[in-house]
Formats: sequence, structure tokens, C-alpha cells
Amino acid sequence: MSFFMIEGASVVFRGLRAVSSVGLSMDKGQIHGLIGPNGAGKTSLVNAISGLVPLAAGSIVLEGRELHHLAAHRIAAFGIGRTFQHAEIFADRTVGENVMTGGYAHRRSKLYQDLLGTWRKVTLERQVRAEAEAMLAAFGLLHLRDTFAGDLPFGTLKKIDLARALMARPRVLMLDEPTSGMNNVEAQDVIASCRRIADEFGVTLLVIEHNMRVIMGLAQIIHVLDHGEMIAEGTPSEVQKNPRVIEAYLGQGAAHA
Amino acid sequence: MFDSLGGAGRRHAALTVLIVVMIAVPPWLGSYYHFIAGLALINVIVATGLNLLTGNAGQISLCHSSFMAIGAYTTTYLFTKVGFYFWLALPAGGLLAALFGFALGFPALRLRGFYLAVVTLGFLEVTQILIEQIPSITGGVRGMQAARPPIFGMTLSSDLSLYYAILPVTLFGLWCAASLLNSPTGRAFNAIRNSEAAAQTLAIPLARTKIIAFVIAAFYAGIGGGLFATLVGFIDPIEFGVWTSIRHVVFIIVGGLGSVAGSAVGAIVLTVLPELLRGFKEYNEFVFGGLLLIVLIVLPNGLVGLWPMLLGRLRAFGWPIPGKSGA
Repeated sequence: MSFFMIEGASVVFRGLRAVSSVGLSMDKGQIHGLIGPNGAGKTSLVNAISGLVPLAAGSIVLEGRELHHLAAHRIAAFGIGRTFQHAEIFADRTVGENVMTGGYAHRRSKLYQDLLGTWRKVTLERQVRAEAEAMLAAFGLLHLRDTFAGDLPFGTLKKIDLARALMARPRVLMLDEPTSGMNNVEAQDVIASCRRIADEFGVTLLVIEHNMRVIMGLAQIIHVLDHGEMIAEGTPSEVQKNPRVIEAYLGQGAAHA
Repeated sequence: MFDSLGGAGRRHAALTVLIVVMIAVPPWLGSYYHFIAGLALINVIVATGLNLLTGNAGQISLCHSSFMAIGAYTTTYLFTKVGFYFWLALPAGGLLAALFGFALGFPALRLRGFYLAVVTLGFLEVTQILIEQIPSITGGVRGMQAARPPIFGMTLSSDLSLYYAILPVTLFGLWCAASLLNSPTGRAFNAIRNSEAAAQTLAIPLARTKIIAFVIAAFYAGIGGGLFATLVGFIDPIEFGVWTSIRHVVFIIVGGLGSVAGSAVGAIVLTVLPELLRGFKEYNEFVFGGLLLIVLIVLPNGLVGLWPMLLGRLRAFGWPIPGKSGA
């Protein structure tokens, strides 16, 4: 049995099938890509895995434990993290607080300690702050710690989103277009970070990406969605040669041309 | 004089000065102002709780006066009728208010914005009717006499002595709110207001977090209500009508949403200002409303936004002011 497995996953919006019986399985520490044209159902699948939209059918299993019945925050607490296409940053908070919020999953202070400001809470708070600063430093964002996140450019917000998600120490991390809004240099930077995340922390990555060059260089296995169905999967070179994939991207007849 | 200190150091120094002022100044004021000062402190307590709920957790409440009422009636009843020790009756009132806050948290799980506001208005109506319908406990529409609490065997009959009893309660409430905002729970509040989706994917439970916010805010209001009853000496349902709720919302908007200092500044300024404007007689409300409008237009972040804005302006004129801008 694989480390992380999705079987027969379907997502339905008002009778419309956004994702139709999709399955994929990943081993620990692998990087998988999820690609497909606009509206293929990539984000819907990620939303369903993270529990933000209900799964109409199918199962999601992480290390032998079924997660698809759980509420979104429990799925996250079990170790499935994600970033967002539009970053979903807490705009009126500082960059530092955004990233510290990611530590919620591992909070060790009780509510009464948070309220009373006990010595234990103060000590734990210092640790979270240090952890967040280390994370910010890893993404070259430490100088922005006290800046309000809402004032920053989109590419920076994407990095903050990633740093925040990592603070929760996920076992599986789903990245929704991690390099959008970035120039080439920044994108390469983020890709290098992704590799480091997978290697050093053993985090299993599922990456949605529009930039083909980026994803082909990053992922070991690529899954291709079109109209909510998985039309191909395999290594980057296999997928690139697949006629159905070429057709989905370039339109009917392109594969034969 | 604070140039040599860092940002945190300057804040601590400013806080110390403020607390010293709050302790040392009131005896020099006329006895009428002792009452106003006590009232301001009570409003600070209620506003602080409401700001955690609205400014941080993003949940609208137009029934904060009801939580105050629950605290006020419970405290007064237990103290004057049952014979509880006042300083036990007070937290009991807070706890009962918190229990109602807990119950009201549940509709908030499904409703937001205007819909939640309407539900809280409904709760306010129900509370008003309940107060009127159980006169054996509440005195009904005719109201209820409250008494002054004892401390170390002495009754706090003067407004000044009561002020000094309320002051540590207020400071403790501010301390707790500030501590909460620098904790996982406080960050969860801000997270659910900004993005429920992102919050959930960081393992933050929406339901639990919203209910905690309602419980804490209601507890603050309950404590404020209990102290209000004993300060004023008389409570009736009219005192806890919708206008009181709206005034508390105005406190936190004018002071600064999501900021503990904002709750305090808003409540103090808007409690004291109408008294200072008495000289305007019939124009009093007009001037008050005008000042509100000016603050809201000029200071979108509330009164607490004034200080960083001034510093920024002065720095722009070349004044050597250390530290960063931004609240």
C-alpha cells in the first residue's frame, strides 16, 4: 500500500462533475505533478483532498488512515497541507504573524494559558517566533517580518503562503501553482525550495503547475487531468509523448499533425 | 526621552506612564469625574471583549448589551438577594454571560455578516423580554437596585474607591486580551476573519474558534455588566437596549478594530468626550457625531492609527524619529 493514495475520487458541483473517479498514489518523499488545461479539475481535486469541498465518491488514505470523512481542519492536523492559487494570505497581519499562524497545528499551550499569558505560553511563543523566523529566512523573507502582508507583490505572497503551510510540518503538501506571479529567477528559487522540502523534510509534494518547463523538471511522476478525468500519468517524458495529452493541450488533431 | 529604547521598550514605557496616570490622577479630579472614570474603565472591559470577537475573529454582535445585562442582573441578584460575596458574584455573572455566548456561537457557525447581526438582534430582544417577564428576579420594567461591593470589610461607597477596585479588573482584562492575540488562539481568530479556507488548511477548527471568541467576548461583557450595575446603583432593561450595543461597536471602530489599545482608547475617549462637550449644551450630540465622522474619514484604522501616522508625517518633515512606521 502506498504512502498516500486517492481512489475513485469524484467532485460534483450542482450536478456538474468537476472531478470524475480520479485515482493516484504517491510514495513518501516523492514529487508528483498535476497538470491539465484550465477547468480540468486540478484545484477541485486539491480542494476535495484538503476537505474544503466534499468528496462525492472515493477515498483518500494517508499511511493507512482514511481521511475523506474528516473535517478540513482534521485533515490538515493529520498532516495534509496545501497552498492556494491566490495565496489566501491574512492580508492585515504582518508576514511574521502569517507564518506563525501555520504553527497552530503544533500548538502546545492551552486556551487558559493563551489568555492568562503564563510563563509557559510566553516561552512557547518565543519558540514559535524563532521557528517562523527560520522559515522566513529560508525563503529570504526575514526582512519583511514586520511588514503587513497585504502590501506585498503577488510573487512574495505565494512564498509566504508556502512558508506558512510548511510551518504546520505537513507530511503531504499540495502546491497550487507555486510559481505563478513570479519571474523566472524567483520561480527557479521556489522550485529549488520544493526540492529541498521533499529531500530534507521528507515531505511528499503534489504540485499543480501551468509552467510546463518547471513541472517537467521538478516532478518524478506527472498526472494529467482533462474535463475532470485522469487522461494520462507517468514520467515527464512519457506524458510529453502521450497523444491524448498533446490533444488536450493543443486541441483536436494536433497529435496527428 | 525614549530615543534610546527600541520599539518594545518605548511601548512598555508608554504603558507604564499610562498606568501611573490612571492611578495618580483621579483623586485630583472632581468627584463627578470619578464616576465617569469608573464608567470609562467598564466600557474598556466590554469593548475589549467585543473587539476580540469582531475586530479579530470577525463575528458581528449587536447583542453585547445583553451579555452585559446577564452579567449585571446575575451579579446584582447573587450579591443583594442571595448574599454572595460580591467578588464571587461578579465572575458568576461573567460565567453565565459566557454560557449564553457559547449558545449564541452556534448560529454563528452557519451565518455571517448581516444574517448573524440579525440573529444577535433577536437575542437582544429575547433578553429584554426575559428581563421584563421575570420580575421576581430582575424587578421587571421597574428595574432593580444594586449595591456597592465590600473589599477587606469596607464598602466601596465612594466612586473613587470603586474606581480603584475596577482598575485592576480592567488592566487584567487588557493583559489577557493582549496575551491572547499573541498566542495560537489569537492568531486563529485573525486567520478565520481573513480566510476561513486558509485557516482550516492550517488545522484551525472554525467552529471551536468562533465559539471560543463568543464565549470570551460574552464573559468580558458579563464582568463589565456586573461592575456597571454596582457603579450606577440601579439597572433596568432600557439600560441594556440596542443603543448600548451599537455604542460599543462604535467604541471599537473609532478606537481601532482588532487592536487592544484601540478598544481602550475608543472606550475611554468616547465615554469622556460627551462629558467634556457638555458646554455645547443642545449641540452636544451634533459635535459628538461630527467628531466621529471626522475620525472615521481621516483615520481608517481608528484613533490608534493616529500615532504612527503622526510619526510618519514628522519623519517626512525630517524629524529624527527612530523606529519604523506602522502600528
